[in-house]
Amino acid sequence: MDKRITLKIAKIEDEAKDIKTFTFKHKLDAKPGQFIMLTDFEGGEKPFSISDCTKEEFSITVKRIGEFTSRLFQKCVGDYVSIRGAYGSSFFISKNKVLLVGGGYAVPTFYFFAKVLLEAGADITLINGARTKAEHIFADRFNELDIKAINATDDGSFGEKGTAVDVAERILANQLVSKLQPNKLVSKPQLGDTKHFQAGAWKRENKKKFDFVYASGPEMMMKTLQPLLKGVDYEFLFERYMKCAIGICGNCTMDPLGIRLCVEGPVLPKKLMEQLTEFGKYHRDAAGKRVKY
Amino acid sequence: MQKSLKTEFLGITITSPLVLPAGVMGMAFSGFNISIENGAGIVTSKSLTLKSRTGHKGPVVAEFEGGFLNCMGLCNPGIVDGLAEIDQFKERSDIPVIVSVFATNTKDFLELTKYVNKSQADFLELNLSCPNVFDEFGIPLAASQDEVHKIIKAVKQVSTLPVIAKLSPNVYDIVSIAKTAESAGADALCMINTVGPGMLIDTKMVNPVLFNKFGGLSGPCVKPIALKLIYQTYSAVNIPIIGMGGVTYGEDAIEMLMAGAIVIGVGTAVHYRGIEVFNKINNEILEFMDENGYKSLKDIPRLEKLEM
Repeated sequence: MDKRITLKIAKIEDEAKDIKTFTFKHKLDAKPGQFIMLTDFEGGEKPFSISDCTKEEFSITVKRIGEFTSRLFQKCVGDYVSIRGAYGSSFFISKNKVLLVGGGYAVPTFYFFAKVLLEAGADITLINGARTKAEHIFADRFNELDIKAINATDDGSFGEKGTAVDVAERILANQLVSKLQPNKLVSKPQLGDTKHFQAGAWKRENKKKFDFVYASGPEMMMKTLQPLLKGVDYEFLFERYMKCAIGICGNCTMDPLGIRLCVEGPVLPKKLMEQLTEFGKYHRDAAGKRVKY
Repeated sequence: MQKSLKTEFLGITITSPLVLPAGVMGMAFSGFNISIENGAGIVTSKSLTLKSRTGHKGPVVAEFEGGFLNCMGLCNPGIVDGLAEIDQFKERSDIPVIVSVFATNTKDFLELTKYVNKSQADFLELNLSCPNVFDEFGIPLAASQDEVHKIIKAVKQVSTLPVIAKLSPNVYDIVSIAKTAESAGADALCMINTVGPGMLIDTKMVNPVLFNKFGGLSGPCVKPIALKLIYQTYSAVNIPIIGMGGVTYGEDAIEMLMAGAIVIGVGTAVHYRGIEVFNKINNEILEFMDENGYKSLKDIPRLEKLEM
């Protein structure tokens, strides 16, 4: 049974204007990429990605976008909210070279994920993008982790200028890096030894810059990123309207596979992404009406 | 001879007796796709209304030991968009589709019927029994024999498709309602809709868990009620019954058949056992048939009818 649990807010941190992190003292047992449903019983229950999760506590990072989140922003430490979950699919844990491409308030989920990836021994490059410096979040937190973090803003007010996808395009260019490698059969070159430079003593090796790319951000950001990911494995984290979160109501179904984002998602692998014709084209609203992007 | 789950419902041959009921996965054509790929023999749309509805605010589901409460509030994209999803599904599939429609008066039911006539749907289901819109529309129509008779009679005169009446278990005498539906011309009955409604309370925040406060009850705990009402109704009418209410395993489906159902709805179990639940139950029915030497669903015995 998916147990609902009612918890006190243990900590509230301001991340930027209209973005806050709420922390709860509760062992959630979540995996990176999963989400919880949260309500205050005053009208509305919404899905939130988990931005941090330890044995003692977990956090969600929320952007104020409507009536529900505005109400949540007025809550104080010690106020109750009720949650259920964690639900849905989670990120594949790679042990290799990975690139995380994050945009806006969808970036924080990569904080939880990066910590798990580091434990697994992955080599992480993160692109942390936002529209402006004022909206850029989590830079300090990511700095504390042993990863290569590249900050970017659309207007160049913080970090590199450009969207997260612009930066990804630059660093993914020539994803297959051709490098001249000394042939292993050749002995260590000695001073005056010309054998080392003979034809055939060097060989050209193709090496991938990244073994796996993960993206979390607005759907159109991921749509723009997708064509750049030819020849590399990837997973995308989706944010869509969800109602029941347990795979029954059909509101978050994606065409034409009938993928339920609350059960088979919110993390979807390349294999599925390549077949989802509605990706970046339309989604369904609370009534189930198709809404074009 | 090979065992088969093939059966007939209102003259149409189906490969599995399992029905995806209204309100479950029926929002998008792809929701139907994934249900039939996983073994459903008939699919039903969300209950469609003339205008789109966003439904109730959340929480809209609440789970407890024996089942679920839900108060979706008839969210649907409206009859035009809803039928477009069905037509898109039908482009690639010949699995029968039941279109469920909801209205509060005869005039709107007739208007909905005219839309459905023009679609690729196979059956028309009249949702006379949503328990979750009391504040908006009052007591469900299925509680009144007069209303049930009036609406079904009017719809039957206009509909080009067989008409199924979805009945509420939350009435004093469902058998009389069922007989009224039959006498008004209903071709089949679908029962039971969710039970109650009921409620759950969050004890820390001293609040009903559902924002709508009350919600219809489904899941394993309602099966005994469903079986009893289906059995009583089966004893009293001659039209086929789509039986549903708490069916989670093959054994439950067999009980439904023995109680008198022709085909069986599986809804809440999609959560308990995954979308694969239809194939799982199909296999469990086949195993039961194997163990007992039945070659077709028709061989499975029904209970002797009650003397009414």
